[in-house]
Amino acid sequence: MVKEIERAGIPVVHVCTVTPISMTVGANRIVPAIAIPHPLGNPALEPAEEKALRRHIVEKALEALTTEVEDQTIFE
Amino acid sequence: MKLELGNIYIKDIQFTEGEAKIDDHILYVNKEAAAAAALGEEEHLASVSFDIAKPGESVRITPVKDVIEPRVKVEGRGGIFPGVIAKVDTVGSGKTYCLKGMAVVTAGKIVGFQEGVIDMSGEGAKYTPFSQTLNLVMVCTPVEGLKQHEYEAAVRFAGFRLATYIGELARDLTPDDTKVYETYGIMEGKEKFPNLPRVAYVQMLQSQGLLHDTYVYGVDAKKTLSTIMNPTETMDGAIVSGNCVSACDKNPTYVHENNPVIADLFEEHGKTINFVCQILTNENVYLADKMRSSDWTAKLCRLLDLDGIILSQEGFGNPDTDLIMNCKKIEAEGVKTVIITDEYAGRDGKSQSLADADVAADAVVTGGNANQVVILPKLDKVIGTMDYITKIAGASEETLRADGTLEVELQVLTGATNETGFNKLSAR
Repeated sequence: MVKEIERAGIPVVHVCTVTPISMTVGANRIVPAIAIPHPLGNPALEPAEEKALRRHIVEKALEALTTEVEDQTIFE
Repeated sequence: MKLELGNIYIKDIQFTEGEAKIDDHILYVNKEAAAAAALGEEEHLASVSFDIAKPGESVRITPVKDVIEPRVKVEGRGGIFPGVIAKVDTVGSGKTYCLKGMAVVTAGKIVGFQEGVIDMSGEGAKYTPFSQTLNLVMVCTPVEGLKQHEYEAAVRFAGFRLATYIGELARDLTPDDTKVYETYGIMEGKEKFPNLPRVAYVQMLQSQGLLHDTYVYGVDAKKTLSTIMNPTETMDGAIVSGNCVSACDKNPTYVHENNPVIADLFEEHGKTINFVCQILTNENVYLADKMRSSDWTAKLCRLLDLDGIILSQEGFGNPDTDLIMNCKKIEAEGVKTVIITDEYAGRDGKSQSLADADVAADAVVTGGNANQVVILPKLDKVIGTMDYITKIAGASEETLRADGTLEVELQVLTGATNETGFNKLSAR
């Protein structure tokens, strides 16, 4: 899906847990997620902490989206 | 470490009102006594019921949770299923009896979509290895309001208690045949087989959590670091399944007890290779865990000065990354690696087979394409329930056809594409 959307001319950030797979399939902007059962959150955290974590991931993804890349890049 | 396995071949299973026993290769099961043994002090199961399924019968068992071979330890340290049923003690030496040709099968709706199907005849029987065993099936009914993970644990323990109880019936019998398995210390092995390549078996255990778990001496594998074991320990039930995951490529406890990779490596041990040990590693859901665990297996392979390893996966999807990480890092240590996996290549077999790939994975054995479609006939009797047949992974809303036949992917059949080679698919 990442590749097809980019082929249509729209840049994509792939937020995913297993970044090596994202590299293998050819995503250009990759943001690491938390874990496979809960990529964008962490149920072990308090609600306020989790909200901050979620916001952080989304902000990082937005930042990645507006960053020029030369090669496949993981935004740690 | 040296273990003698004695095989006792079971030719029939019958219910009896009298005493449970094994007499002239026939297992007589008293339902009440078996239920008492299986339930123990379990408070989470309302009841268990028993049935017998024999090869060739028009019988379907579903939803299948685990398959277990009854065994009993007659000499040496510890007991079967250490840290789970028997007390924690190092197993894998002495003498153990195995009831061959039969299995304990546990069934019950736990998750709904992640249990399997065993057909005793027809097209499905060609794919599941457990169509060939005499199956003592235990259907477990939970108490009301029980949570899924508690239900899973209750069924898991009930299965091991029943298998242990059945195994005990063989304690005073004489095995039909015996075989000895022995591995050596590092220096001892080198002196014994100075010119043979040093080979180990690296086994990846399903440990994704949320009812996708495996236990080693009772320890949840997702909380472990990669470690070393004597392969004979597995023959005494050191590794057990706690898995509700796609049926075709999970390892039921029976497969751990009878791991074909271990059997075949022992076959060549002292002839063409020195089978040094077994290395266990996990398949966790955090990237850091995947990296740490695969770093660790590569480190152990180097420390043991191995020449080659066989690496088996359990499950599919994100564990493909664990598989490739292990392969890449172990090969980078100069240790030749062969991987055993299966494929999700689409119904037409044309899609990419694994989620991850690397040039280091240049020697691959496949258990088959789990997306392959098969049509299963309508069978006369169902042990368990067909209520979830359209929900099982590999089935769909269109699965149940008007004539009563089932259109499913191999995924639904327990053990169909097993990644230790404990399956029936082959190719020319």
